[in-house]
This record gives sequence, structure tokens and C-alpha cells, in this order.
Amino acid sequence: MYVVIIGCGRAGSSLANLLSQQGSDVVVIDKEPEALQELAPEYSGFKVKGDATEIEVLKEAKLDKADVVVITTDNDNVNAMIAQIAKNLYAIPQVLVRVIDPAKEIIYNDLDVYSISTTNLLVDKFSRQIKNN
Amino acid sequence: MSKENILVIDDEKNIRNNLTKCLTDYEVETAVNGEEGLKKFREKEYDLVLLDMKLPGIGGIDVLAEIKEVDPGAIVIMITGYGSVETAVKTMKLGAVDYLSKPFTCDEILEVVESVVKRKQAEMSEDELSTYDEFVDYAKNCIVDRQFSKALKYLQKAVSLDTSNPEAFNLMGILLEMENDVLEAQKKYRAALSLDPTYKPAQENLDRTTQRDYSKEGMNFGGKQNKKD
Repeated sequence: MYVVIIGCGRAGSSLANLLSQQGSDVVVIDKEPEALQELAPEYSGFKVKGDATEIEVLKEAKLDKADVVVITTDNDNVNAMIAQIAKNLYAIPQVLVRVIDPAKEIIYNDLDVYSISTTNLLVDKFSRQIKNN
Repeated sequence: MSKENILVIDDEKNIRNNLTKCLTDYEVETAVNGEEGLKKFREKEYDLVLLDMKLPGIGGIDVLAEIKEVDPGAIVIMITGYGSVETAVKTMKLGAVDYLSKPFTCDEILEVVESVVKRKQAEMSEDELSTYDEFVDYAKNCIVDRQFSKALKYLQKAVSLDTSNPEAFNLMGILLEMENDVLEAQKKYRAALSLDPTYKPAQENLDRTTQRDYSKEGMNFGGKQNKKD
């Protein structure tokens, strides 16, 4: 499984560590070199330093070969743009995106990608927990 | 059969991890820079070296040259980053057998390593060659490895086994061309054609060498196995 993860923050890096430990071929992209240091010492995938909205950076990560693309940067506009590139330009079978602002989840309605809003997820869990009490 | 020894020279920890993890069927040792890699290489015999192009201190290309000096028969595969594929191709002229461009998958590494190991094993069995075809196939491998004088030796043996087959003459012509002796090469192509006027590779090579814009581009090695380049 060839997985490209865009954005190496807390979410991106821990997913990268987990997947590489499980034996996937992982490539992480982040424009901040410090962010790439978040990866575990055992991490056995690749690191690409660069802005993932630039096509050269995506080529460097061999995005065209990816089975899965996970997009977890902290910017909704960037996430949406890369999701569209991955889906429409590269026809990646599986694209997963993190949504920061729940109001922007609508962007992905017409795009065949799997989007998750962490805020909605948290609100949902909390409200259920409160009802249960 | 014992496991092949592989030496990985790369300054990035994640890539050393990656290669060690993928090549579990082999005995893998790692070095973090060119200096350490060369030290290990001098101390012990390795079947294969995976060498990063970009290393701190001595660069990958210099390490390659040094390795080739210590053991001209050493098998080295270069690891390259995006954008340095052209330089990697140049390293093949310095004696690297192949290159891997980052990021690579486990399957890609295994494929390259296995094909190289197989080629090496074919070389080990050179004493067991007995038929015309075996000698010719072996000579082809030598050509791919740029061991031209060795290839010529085996082609001559092949010819002594079967004087009516044009293939060995065609390959000898190619070897002469490599030495820039086009006239002698043409003689070999003609010899191949006189044995079998329908042997296309020799005809094509002869046509190519006699045309006005002479170029080595498009040499025809004949047979099923074409030159891998």
C-alpha cells in the first residue's frame, strides 16, 4: 500500500508512524522541516519537504503511484485544493481529508473523497456522552 | 545457500530503516556516511551495496569511485532523490549497476535487488557453461556489465562450439564497435550474414554502420534478450 500523507502535524505524523509500522510504504509531505522531525525514530517511510500545493512537490512524492492520499494540513483551502488535484488530476482511488471549519465541509459534497471534521466529531461524541448521563 | 550481504550507505535514518525492513531475506548492514561505509566495505566482503547519492562529507559519487577502486567487481545500486535521476544515469557509467529513485516501495527494492543477485549468480556458474547458447547468453550478460574483453572470450568459445550460427559473430561485431573499430565490426556482421543471409540483426547492424550518419544508437543484439539499458 503506497500512502502519501500531506501535513505532518500531530495527526499526520502519528498516522504516518502507525502506517509505516504496519508495513505500508509511506511518504509524508510538509513545508516545515521541523514538522518532519515529529516522526518517530523508527519511522521507515520517506519525507518530502515542500509545499504540497506545488505540482513539483507532488511529483517528487510520486503522488501518481499512490493508493491512498491523506490530507491533514491546518488550512481548509489548501486541503480542498490538494484533494481536488489528487482526485481529478491523479485519480487516486482513496482520498481522505481533514476539515477544520465545519462550515467548509460542503466543499467536498461533489467530490468523491472521504472528509472528516474533527470539530463535528467531537461535538457529536460529547453530546451523546451528555445524553447518556 | 547463505544469505547475501548487503551494505546500505545512507545518512537518513528513515531510509536505513526502510531498507532494513524490506530486505529481511538478506543480511543487511548500514552505514550513516561515506566514511563509515568505506571502512565497512574494506573490512568485509559484500554482495551488494546500496549507496545514497547525497551524503554528508564524501559524496555518493566519490564513494562509488572509491568502492570500485577497492573492488572493481563490486555491485553498487545508487539511491537518488527526485531531480537527480540524470546524475544517477551518469553513475552507471562509473560502474553502478542500477539506481532506485526515492521514494520507492518495498516491492521496487526487492525487484531491483533480486534481479542483481540473480545476475551475480549467473556469473558464479560460468564454469558450468557448456552449450553454444549458454556461452552466448553469458557473453550478453558480460556486455550488459560492460566487461567487453570477457564477453569476447566467451563468444570465441561459443563460435568454436557451433561455427554455423550467426549470433556470436553479430555480438562480436558489436564488441568491436564498442572499441570503435567499425571496419572490423562490419567484417563480423558480414560473416554472420554469410552464415545466414536471413539473420536480421546482423543486416540491421551492417546497414547502420554503413549509413552516412553513423551512430551506435540502436545496436541490435539479436535473440530474445535485447540489451537492457
